[in-house]
Amino acid sequence: MKSMLIAASLLKFEKQRFGLLAVLFFLALTHFSAGADAGPKVQLDAKKAGPRAVESLTQNAIVRDYRTAWNNMAHALESNSVGPLDGPFTGEAKTWLWQSVMSQQKTGLSRRYVDQNHRVEAVFYAPEGDVIELHDTADFQLQILDSGKVVQEEHVTAHYVVLMTPSADRWLVRHLQSVQQF
Amino acid sequence: MRPALLNCGFAGLIMCLSLASWGQNITVPTSAVAGEPATLSIAGSGKATFYLIGPGISNKHEINLGEDIKLRGDVLRNAGDYRVIVCSDSCHSATFFVTAAKPASLSFLVHPSRVPVSLSDAVSGVAFPFDRFHNLVLSPVTINFQLSAGNASLLNRSANTQAGVAWFRTASGKSAGALQVTASVDDLSAKRVVQQVASDPCNLRITGQRNATGILVQTEPVHDCSGNPVPDGTIVSFTANAGGVKSTVDAPIKKGIARAQIDASGAAVISGASGVVMGNELRVGAR
Amino acid sequence: MKIILPIILVIATVVLIAMALVTSGNAAGKTVGIAVGSAFYGLTPKPTTPEQALSNLLLDAKRRNWDNAFASVSTAQPVDKQLFVQDWTGSYGSLRSFSALEGFDIRPLHITNEQALMRVRLHWTTPVGPIEDLRDFHLAKEGDIWKTVWPKSQVPNVPSQVIPVTYLRWDLVSAGGDDEWGAKNIDAPHVRIISMNPSDFAEGSVILGEVVNEDTIPAFVNVTATLLDASGNAIDEETSFDKIDHVLLPKQVTPYRIDFPGINLKNVKNVRMNVKATLVPASADPVIGVMNQKVDADFQGKAVLRGDVFNESGQTINIPHVIASLYDNNGKVLWVADGYVERALLPQTSVPFAVEIPKNMASKVQNFHVVVNQYSMGRN
Repeated sequence: MKSMLIAASLLKFEKQRFGLLAVLFFLALTHFSAGADAGPKVQLDAKKAGPRAVESLTQNAIVRDYRTAWNNMAHALESNSVGPLDGPFTGEAKTWLWQSVMSQQKTGLSRRYVDQNHRVEAVFYAPEGDVIELHDTADFQLQILDSGKVVQEEHVTAHYVVLMTPSADRWLVRHLQSVQQF
Repeated sequence: MRPALLNCGFAGLIMCLSLASWGQNITVPTSAVAGEPATLSIAGSGKATFYLIGPGISNKHEINLGEDIKLRGDVLRNAGDYRVIVCSDSCHSATFFVTAAKPASLSFLVHPSRVPVSLSDAVSGVAFPFDRFHNLVLSPVTINFQLSAGNASLLNRSANTQAGVAWFRTASGKSAGALQVTASVDDLSAKRVVQQVASDPCNLRITGQRNATGILVQTEPVHDCSGNPVPDGTIVSFTANAGGVKSTVDAPIKKGIARAQIDASGAAVISGASGVVMGNELRVGAR
Repeated sequence: MKIILPIILVIATVVLIAMALVTSGNAAGKTVGIAVGSAFYGLTPKPTTPEQALSNLLLDAKRRNWDNAFASVSTAQPVDKQLFVQDWTGSYGSLRSFSALEGFDIRPLHITNEQALMRVRLHWTTPVGPIEDLRDFHLAKEGDIWKTVWPKSQVPNVPSQVIPVTYLRWDLVSAGGDDEWGAKNIDAPHVRIISMNPSDFAEGSVILGEVVNEDTIPAFVNVTATLLDASGNAIDEETSFDKIDHVLLPKQVTPYRIDFPGINLKNVKNVRMNVKATLVPASADPVIGVMNQKVDADFQGKAVLRGDVFNESGQTINIPHVIASLYDNNGKVLWVADGYVERALLPQTSVPFAVEIPKNMASKVQNFHVVVNQYSMGRN
């Protein structure tokens, strides 16, 4: 009887340990999976911007709104929905991203941007402050998915020429063009 | 041809090495221009799935390995990076860039839309050249800026674009009226109009005379310091002080003159002001 | 036990009702709100005292029971009933037309056997917030009851005439079609804050100053202030709300006042001002003059800036709003006071106004400037 009780308690302990290990394993998986993403990191260097100097409040706004733009763009291209494009984008950038989403919807493809890191340099700020040109050196993990299955995953360092224009309460990305080098 | 870069952390080293060597089977264009067709060649045999991921485009087709793939100009209309992925037993990829075509339009921003005359560095303009697919042309382009008011040319200057942008800044003219601002590249041009308006009133002078109902005050024709008439609708504030009692009327200029009726029976001192510009004082005797 | 509680509740209810009926509501010699014995319709008590007579009239006016109200008015001199009613209900779309009498406080000033002078504070509910109006009523005894002597209504006598409107008007046309970047460029009007003075006031603080429209087109203006602490964090953000003339014609100056209730300036290290100006259609008409302005005391002894607003144009101004900036001897804005005129401003006529000056500032006021904001139905 005593040995049966000991065996039962040992078995229970083993079950608990197994359960704990399973939980830890899945947690580790989710940590390394594409879903674990704290959002894009953006650093702005506006020292060389001209002819107008970029005010500090404007710099904060640009960083905030550019980060939102990339966050929304990643969400739109991953979920194949155009809704997230409405807020932060305008003009050609919005048109191209909209076309990308529509095209992906037809083919069942999607994209995932993970661990985004953007080093942004302001290279031109118009005299009246109505347009700013940024050069973005972006590092991220890019996954291409076909019907939810990853067909391509690579670490990318990309260069973007970005035009942003102010609206009523935020800066909008008007142009987002990838280039081989600046 | 650009070799594919893969993250080998979780897949296993041997698998990574084999995939990296297969990336060299895709031949992509070294330089592609927006709107122009391009050809890819993919070595191998058998069937594969072909993906083209680029700005505004995500294509997927079944292809036969070993055959060239012709990409139409409209597929490559947007400038940027295009990823080619070919999957048969496993997937390999390559990347190529499409650059903007020659300029076909100018986005021209001019500020302000209204400017006082004779103000230094008052008018500025920024021009971006775009190709016919609305790609920003980043290669240097010479843009000519011209400003003219009537027959007088105020500015004729050329500037090369840097990072796809050229700009100018200049003083406003001396006379009120429309200022034509043009940016041009070869036979392309973009025109804007800036309204030059009179500056603050200068030498604001008022006159007044008593009538049956009080005092009728009016300004002489209101001009700025360059002699331009101040636009109708501009407010002139008349103030009358009579026996410790004050009366004010904010009257708009009409046909160059502002006029108001002030209720004051005793001797009064009357002054006029427009914005932050003060005029003369006038003393009118009692009724 | 079961029926004791209901019995207690019924008794308590009856006692409370009786107390309400019996208690006069007198507080420090004033008759407040609803008068004695008049909680129920049809039970108007006999006006045997001046307070009762006036209370009856005011209560009927509050209930818009004009026949009963007019019956409380003395017929010793002719009174036009329509003008009497208009005096309470307003006319020509004035602020009074949209207001309701909420309550009143009566205080006797002077009572003899035959005559009485009563001062009444009328509490009005209006679309722009509660307004208090102080009025003196003269009553006379007729027989064994008291009646209110109604003053002769001042009807403006404006001769019929045709007044051409030749002032400038600005319309705003919104561009349609494709949004070509840079092609549709109309800058927002250029306005500038020309002064900004923060100061403590009552339990909080205020920011006072003036704004000018430096442009050649009308602007709709709003001023916002953010109070920042030593770390640069925002403590509070407020706007000028209606303490500003929002529509500024070219070169027009308006005062503004931004209230921060409950925030003392000692915690504030910086103030961030923001003036927003947008394009707006507008007209240079009507032209309103502010005549006979002077600072003196009203009949309560409070310092007021009073004067008359005169409509120099041919259009009725339904709701004039007077905004006054008061300056010290250095030209610094000491205070910005405002008040709504409850009567409409008919063409070529004037209406008096008075705005209160805080007690601690009255002695420092050396100069003042008044602007008139206006709302005209059919134009706005």
